[in-house]
This record gives sequence, structure tokens and C-alpha cells, in this order.
Amino acid sequence: MENKWKLSRRKFLIRAGTVGGIALGVTLVECGPLRRKLGQMANDGKLQSYKNHYAPDIWFEIAPDGTITLHSPKVEMGQGVFTALGQIAAEELETDWKNIRVVHAHSARGPVDPTVTGGSDSVANLYDVVRNLAAQMREMLKNNAAALLNVPASSLRADKGIITGGGKSISYGEVAAKSTHWEIPKDKPKLKEIADFKIIGQPLPRVDLVAKVKGEPLFGIDATMPGMLYGAVARPPFIGAVFKSAKTGKAETMPGVVKVVVAKEFVGVVAATRTQALDAKQALEINWEKPSKTWNQPDIEALIEVGKGVRNVIQIKGDSDKYLGGEGVLTGSFHTPIGAHAQMEPNGALVDAQEKKATIKMSTQVVQLTRGEVAKALSLSDDAVDVQPAYLGGGFGRRLHTPHAKEAAILSKAVGKPVHCFFERSEEFQNSYLRPPTAHLLKAKLGADGTIQALEHNTSSGDVAFGSALLPSFAPAVFGADFGAWRGGMIQYSAIPNVKTIFWRCLLPFATSWWRGLGLLANTFAIESFMDDLARAAKADPLEFRLKHIADDEAGVRLKGVLKAAAEKAGWGKPLAPGRAHGIACCTDVHTPVAQVVEAGMVNGKIKVFKVTCAIDPGLIINPDGVRAQCEGAIHMGMSAALTEEILIVDGKVTPNKLGYYNILLLRDSPEVEVVLLSTGPPRGVGEPPIGPIAAAIGNAVLALTGKRLSRIPLNGKMNSI
Amino acid sequence: MKKNTLYIASLLTGFFGLTAALSPTSPVPKTADPAVSRAAYGKIMTVLRSPRCMNCHPSDDFPRQGDDRHVHLFNVQRGKDDHGLPAMRCNTCHQTENNAYSGVPGAPKWGLAPRSMAWQGLSDGGIGRVMLDRSRNGGKNLAELVRHLTQDSLVLWGWNPGANRALPPLDQPTFAKYVREWADNGAVLPKD
Amino acid sequence: MEIHFELNGAAQTVEAPEQTPLLWIIRDYLGLKGTKFGCGTAMCGACTVHVGDDPVRSCSFAVKFAEGKKITTIEGLAQGDALHPVQQAWIEEVVPQCGYCQPGFMMSAAALLKHIPQPTDEDINNNVANICRCGTYFRIRKAIHRAAALAGQTAPHKI
Repeated sequence: MENKWKLSRRKFLIRAGTVGGIALGVTLVECGPLRRKLGQMANDGKLQSYKNHYAPDIWFEIAPDGTITLHSPKVEMGQGVFTALGQIAAEELETDWKNIRVVHAHSARGPVDPTVTGGSDSVANLYDVVRNLAAQMREMLKNNAAALLNVPASSLRADKGIITGGGKSISYGEVAAKSTHWEIPKDKPKLKEIADFKIIGQPLPRVDLVAKVKGEPLFGIDATMPGMLYGAVARPPFIGAVFKSAKTGKAETMPGVVKVVVAKEFVGVVAATRTQALDAKQALEINWEKPSKTWNQPDIEALIEVGKGVRNVIQIKGDSDKYLGGEGVLTGSFHTPIGAHAQMEPNGALVDAQEKKATIKMSTQVVQLTRGEVAKALSLSDDAVDVQPAYLGGGFGRRLHTPHAKEAAILSKAVGKPVHCFFERSEEFQNSYLRPPTAHLLKAKLGADGTIQALEHNTSSGDVAFGSALLPSFAPAVFGADFGAWRGGMIQYSAIPNVKTIFWRCLLPFATSWWRGLGLLANTFAIESFMDDLARAAKADPLEFRLKHIADDEAGVRLKGVLKAAAEKAGWGKPLAPGRAHGIACCTDVHTPVAQVVEAGMVNGKIKVFKVTCAIDPGLIINPDGVRAQCEGAIHMGMSAALTEEILIVDGKVTPNKLGYYNILLLRDSPEVEVVLLSTGPPRGVGEPPIGPIAAAIGNAVLALTGKRLSRIPLNGKMNSI
Repeated sequence: MKKNTLYIASLLTGFFGLTAALSPTSPVPKTADPAVSRAAYGKIMTVLRSPRCMNCHPSDDFPRQGDDRHVHLFNVQRGKDDHGLPAMRCNTCHQTENNAYSGVPGAPKWGLAPRSMAWQGLSDGGIGRVMLDRSRNGGKNLAELVRHLTQDSLVLWGWNPGANRALPPLDQPTFAKYVREWADNGAVLPKD
Repeated sequence: MEIHFELNGAAQTVEAPEQTPLLWIIRDYLGLKGTKFGCGTAMCGACTVHVGDDPVRSCSFAVKFAEGKKITTIEGLAQGDALHPVQQAWIEEVVPQCGYCQPGFMMSAAALLKHIPQPTDEDINNNVANICRCGTYFRIRKAIHRAAALAGQTAPHKI
């Protein structure tokens, strides 16, 4: 069999396995006009590829030893996607779980990652794809087994990687080893019934568990190449600084320095060791072009206000203006600060840039974008650049931007050796793509019966999606409103007759972009805090008040389901220990409704969260323990953002620029988390939805406890006093 | 001459022990000038009240850090031996010298002054009485106290704090001069 | 400067500038990648190793101080094929998500259990102050308690 991908019937791609056996794959994104792709983005709030290609994005290889390797187009950043995809594959393949391996697809083995890894859509989008691919593989194995065993295929049964029938049996590995010809069947294979699932739905331990516990070199920063050197790049030290020129003489004489590279946009150093590179970087005398303005926090806050920037109505139902112009209108104003990703593995890249090809090992959420940027920087074709994604030490959207790969490539080319280059932690703050600050204004009118007649949400934000190199420069003109920034901003109380959401796009002088959940945390904080204010004004129980405003359509029923489940599990309405109160909030994000009940109190004048009860309905659940882990993680990250994290701009500097001072939640602040799983319909997103409600749920608990509404994140910050 | 005076002073302090050290009228050499001692003490206090000294003389179990003397991050605590908790020791992060790469300060014996030598919240006189009280200062007589203040490696670190930390308001030789002047002239303390 | 120390039971000699952080010696000179760079300022704990019995943030530990010391990293926590109780507990509680901070956490937890074999929640809060961005703290706490129980089961019976 040929070692090249061959397009076969029903759009499957087939070739010989890299170590014998067979490989079978499928293309995820078909060719289509750019316009349609952008339209999909606008509709779904999801990223789509606008690259065309004719090789698989996802494929299996079955080796003669029976090992089945799934080459994942999605990168593993802790979200558990490898395990989930592996389980889906193992289920339809009828193989033993222990035979399954999941690896990152390298771009040299076939184009990968047409849709980036992000947006909580990996499992939701790949569930059907992987099932069909696996079922196809299973049928092909059976067909070849039939020939090898000389038994009709219809009498064969596959189970745990063994095909039996007619008193004979053969393993998948043997079939792969002995087959010389593979045929894609004419008919679509039959998929299993959900009731027959043996692997999907099981809380199997994650595939990377043991390797991670042993500290194996999985991550981008762990990658090595023979003869590699270490690079350090000087990055702009304040907002608006642009590299002009550098005196490199002193740095060039420093111990271990191989070369000082003055590129068009930056200056960098290559040295024999990492500390030598860092030392030499300190010795560079750089002339930074200064911006006309030195930015400070009040300047930034003045930019982000409802009523400023470009206005776009993104949701409208009924006529809210009719109700919100006159007397008795209730209003609420909310603010969220700039946030940092602070993923634990700093960004970096190891690049071997040779004359006609380049190899990159790194942590990236955008394999294709990284590849294209490096190819361009090195004047190579995309095909000449192989990106080998590593496990990510956290992603959270930060690694959807990888211009540092290009920098490492330029350094590598300059010295003719592989170079690893990484961000110092202070640069992770100063030279990042921060979560933009937001401001919100909500207006509502209650009827005499205490129901909401009209509700309007104004949400203003810096760029999220529009700050991304994934989108073409004309995207703002096509979309108007930034679908990343308004994520979570639409009002989901479908029983309110008059609703309007207005997005105000405000421009900031520094880079902002994707953060876990994008605008979800900020928008849900505003809407769900205001819902409690309205419930209070209506003298209604916050849970009952919410349920009353949700219609009984499919989305509504699911949202009500999680609200009731979380409330019941948390003991909503039952007395708590003195000095504690419950707060509730909910959201629906990527078709997944989540509700959370927080039990909080005040300790030494600060909010302390004791317990979070979370109910989530992500549709069909592939791995319940994985879903729980994502909920626990999102709750902790959201709690941290809600209570203490805050970036301030001081004299053009992003402050703080150190972990510790950027106040991330610690073990001692960690609450008990209980997760209730509901399951309606097909698989939906999990990684981001549970970060939505937590801030509002905490604020609502404080409201219940103290009668005071905290309208600014961080809730434990100086701007709020209780 | 100075050496002799100091010798006598330390002998006397040693002999009279606690009472002598605590009493503003403790026996002093004839050449002593209480006004000079008092003035020198005022200068000394500007240094002792700087973050470089006060951060590690807390009256509770939590070190302070930074020029703004905030409570040390990560809930770092004194522990039983003033060098941290069993698995969160001072030397988990702080070694015997400053670390240029991390910016983490260090000096030999890095740790908190014992609780008996707590300064935070005390008046100038109160701090002085704690320093002179041999039951609280680790059994130091006046000469030993002078040596601690002028020669101890952990104290000297205050003038080499690294990472752009603020220096004490007096340079080290000037501080040492005032310490000796204070001691030589009777180690006089203000009432408050 | 030539520095000699024991790393995970094996004698090592490295030639390096004396101020080089031990972290980079372990990672770049000796090729053990389990010890992580997180912040470089001794804040996050991802680089935690043991020097003797004590946890040390290796990003802030000049290699010269390692002279003559016994250093243990995550790769040396297991005894041959037998995982350390902390690692075993980490597996049983399925703690890691991205996993980057976990070696540091496990080294901190192992140091805690060396000094306090049956820690309370308060002991854990006070002695393990590493940072995990994925938010696995809830499971880390459970895993430390489980590790204490596992270690207790396997400890030699004392008369």
C-alpha cells in the first residue's frame, strides 16, 4: 500500500501506517467560500478554518501490534480532549481501552487543526466525525478479517480488538499486519446505540495521567533538539513602545553569546545557555520609540464606557424602548477589570530553521496559524514547515497567539542551529493579549405582578475576537460587534417579552483577546447580578424569579433543569451556618446550561467561598470525571478572577507583573466543589461554560448576606467595601 | 579610649544585668553625654523603622515584605523556630545571599527575629527596651548588641537588599557610628 | 565553577557559573524536564525540588549552594517502579489537568508528609502554597490526605 494519502470513496483518506498497518482519516473542513466560513463564525460565535486542503485532519493508525493511535488535530491543554476523543474512538472501534493511544498530529504527517483548539467545541464538533471514522475502520477490519479467516463478514463480531466468527478469531493487529489491500465499503457503517455504549460515559482516567504524574517531558518548554541553543528576545517594556534600534556591543562580548540578532521588529540574543542569553539580553541598550501618550488606569477606564465606541444591537425582541424610557426603570452598572491568562507554562518555541525547511516544537492552540506565520517569516512554503505541537502547560486562549514562534525562527535562521526562546514571567504580563476590561449598563422595568416587562443590556468591551490574527483584518467591518466580547452578553431569559442587547466596541491602546470563556464571565456577572437586584426589587426568591422568566422551549427546559438541580443539591432555601449565605447564578454557553450555588461568608472583612454546587447539562457526556474536572477548574479560575485578580495600567506598565502579586487563588482559598451532571441531547461544550456564573453567584451570596451589591470585579478589591 | 569605654560599659551592663540595662540611670562612664546618646538613638531609629529592619521584627507570626511592608505573600508564617513552617521554610525560597535571577533576597540565618524581639507597634523607647532586655534579646549584653547592630550579616543585608529595594535612610557606616555613640554615651532611651 | 552533588541518588558534576539557578542545571544541563519553570521569582512553586529533606524553589537557588547536597526531583520521587504515595494518590484522585504545576505540587506535598505525616487541612493550606492555574486545588487536597493514608498503610510497623 502506498505511503501517500489517497482520497477514497465517501471522502475518506487512506494510506499505509507509518510502522506498517493502515491509516484512515477524514477531512474536517471542506472547501468553501471564505464568506460562508465567516458567516458561520458570526452565527455560531465559533472559529472556522478558511484554509483549503486535501489531506486528513484527524486519522487513526492501526499498527501490527494492535496499538491504535489516534492523531488528534486538537491539542491537549488539560481539558481532557485526548481522553474524550480516545473514548469515542474506542467505543465504535470495539477495541480495548488499553490499546488506544492519542497523540498530537504533526503538520508534516498531514495538515492538522483546521479549527484551532478553543471555544469548548472540540468534542461537540468531533463526536460524529470520530465515531464514523472509527466505525468505518471497524468494518474494514472485519471485511479484511473475513478474507483472512475465510468466513463471511456478516458472521463476524468485533469485541475488545478481537474479531471472532465461524469458530475462528483474529486480532486487529494481525489483520493490520496481514492485509495488503484495504477497501472502503460502499455503505455507511452502522453506529452503535447509546444504550450499548461501554466506553463512552465511563469515568476513565485521563490518557496522560501517569506521564504527568511522573513528570515526563511532555510540554513545549521540555522539547529538545541536538545542538540547540537558547534565545532571549527583548520585548517592549511599556504600552506603545516600538523597537527602533539597539546598541549590541556589550551584549556581544558577554560569555556564551553566539549572536545578537537585530531584526526588523525586535532584537534578540542567542547564547549557549539560557542564563547567558538572559544576561546578555539585560546588557542590550535599546532605543524604544515612545508613544505620544503614557497610559494610566484612569485613561483606560475612560475608554471603556457604555455609550462610547461603535454601537451594535446584537439582540432584539419586542420593544424594550417603550418600557425603558419612563418612570420606574431600574438600572444597574457593572465593571470588570483587565485580566491575565497567567497560564503556568510560559510561552515559547523551539525552532530549527534550515535553508529549505523548518521544524517547530511548541505549545500552541493554533497549529496552522503558527505554521503560516513561521513560513512567511522564513520565506518558505507552509509545506516546508512542520509544527509538532506539545502538551500545553495551560492554554486559556493565550496560545491562540504565537508570534514568538516567528521570533525563535528568525533567531534560529541567524545562527543556523535550533533555538529555544521563551517568555520571562514579567513579559507574560506586559507583552500579552489581556482580557479586556468591560463596563455594563442594565435597565429593566418590572410589571405590577413582579415580572420583568423589559430588559436591556449594554455591554462595552475592548476587542476579543477582533484582536486575533485568526480573523482577517476586514472582520470588524463584516461583523460590527465582536462576537468574542459579547459572548454571554445576550439575555437568555426567554420569557421576558421585550429584550435588547447592545454591544459597544471600544478600542484600547494595548492588545486584548481570547481568555477562557471570552466575554462570558464579565457578561454573566453583569446580567446575573442584575437579575438578583430585580428579584430583590420584586421581593421574590432569586431562584423562583429566574425560573419564572425562562420559557419552556428546549434551551429553557435545560436551563431550568440545571437551576433546579443545583438548588436542590445545595439545599437552596434551607438554613446555613450563621454568617453564611447562598447565592445563585446561571448561564447558557455553547448550548450548555450551567447553574451554580455559592455558599459564602465574610472572614476578616473579605469574602470567603466555602462551597460551590454546580449543575451542568453538556448533553451526552463522554467522560463524567473529565466534565467534573473542567467544572472544578473553571469554578476555581472564575473565583480567582472574581475575587482578587486585577491588572492595572501604571505609566504604560501592566501591573502587577509577577505571580503572587497577580493574586491567583491558592489551595487555602479553594472551596469544596460539588458537580451535578445532567445530560440532554448530543455532546456540547464543557471547558468554558462553568466559568460564567461563578462571579455573579458569589456577588449574589454577598448581597443576601449583607444587603450590599458589589458591582465591580474583583469583588474583594479596593473598589468594593462592605 | 573608645574601646575601653565600651569594655567598661559592657562589663557594667553585664554585671548589673537587666536592671542596669533597663534603667536610664544605669552606671555610665564619666565621659558619657546622655544628650549625645539620646540624639544618636533618634538617628538609629530612622533605620530600625525602615522596612529593611521592621519587616522581620513583626509582633505577630507573619513576616512583612516590600517597601510598603505588606504581609508576606502566600501566608508565610513564623513557625516554631522563627524560620518557617515544617514544609514552607524561609529557605524554601531564601538562601544565604540575594539571588540576582529571581530577585529573592537572602542572607545567612534568614528568618524572623524571635517573638521576644517583636518591634511592630512599639514606641521608640519600647523598641530600645526590647533590644536591651537580655531576657528578650537572646542574652546579648550591650557590646554584643552593638556588634549585632553593626556587624551581624543579617543586619548588614539591609544595606545590600538587592532588586531595587529601598535602602535604610542612613548609610551603614553612619548608622554604625550612631550605634556606638548611643552605646558609648550610656545607651539612653526615650521614655516613650 | 565545578559543582558536585547527588541528583536522585546519582553523583553529578557540573561545570557552570556559580550563580546559575539550580532549575536550569537540572533541566538544561542534566536534561531532567520534570522540574518546571513557572515564574522565575520563587512565587509559583513549579520548580520545587528537595534539597535534603526540605522543599526548595530551584529557580531561586544558585547551583553553588547544591555543592555536596542530595537533590531530589519529581523523577527521583518514585523508588524504582514503585511510585511515591503522593504520586499514587495523584493518580487515584486524577489530579492533573494541564499538569504543568503538578511536579512542584507533588514535591511540596511529599516534603509536607515527610515532616507532618498526617497533615490537617490547615497544615496543607499553610505548607503547600504553590499555584495551579487549572484550578485542581480541590483534588490536590484530597490527594494529599489520600497520600498520607497510603503512606500510613505501607509504613513499617513500629513496635
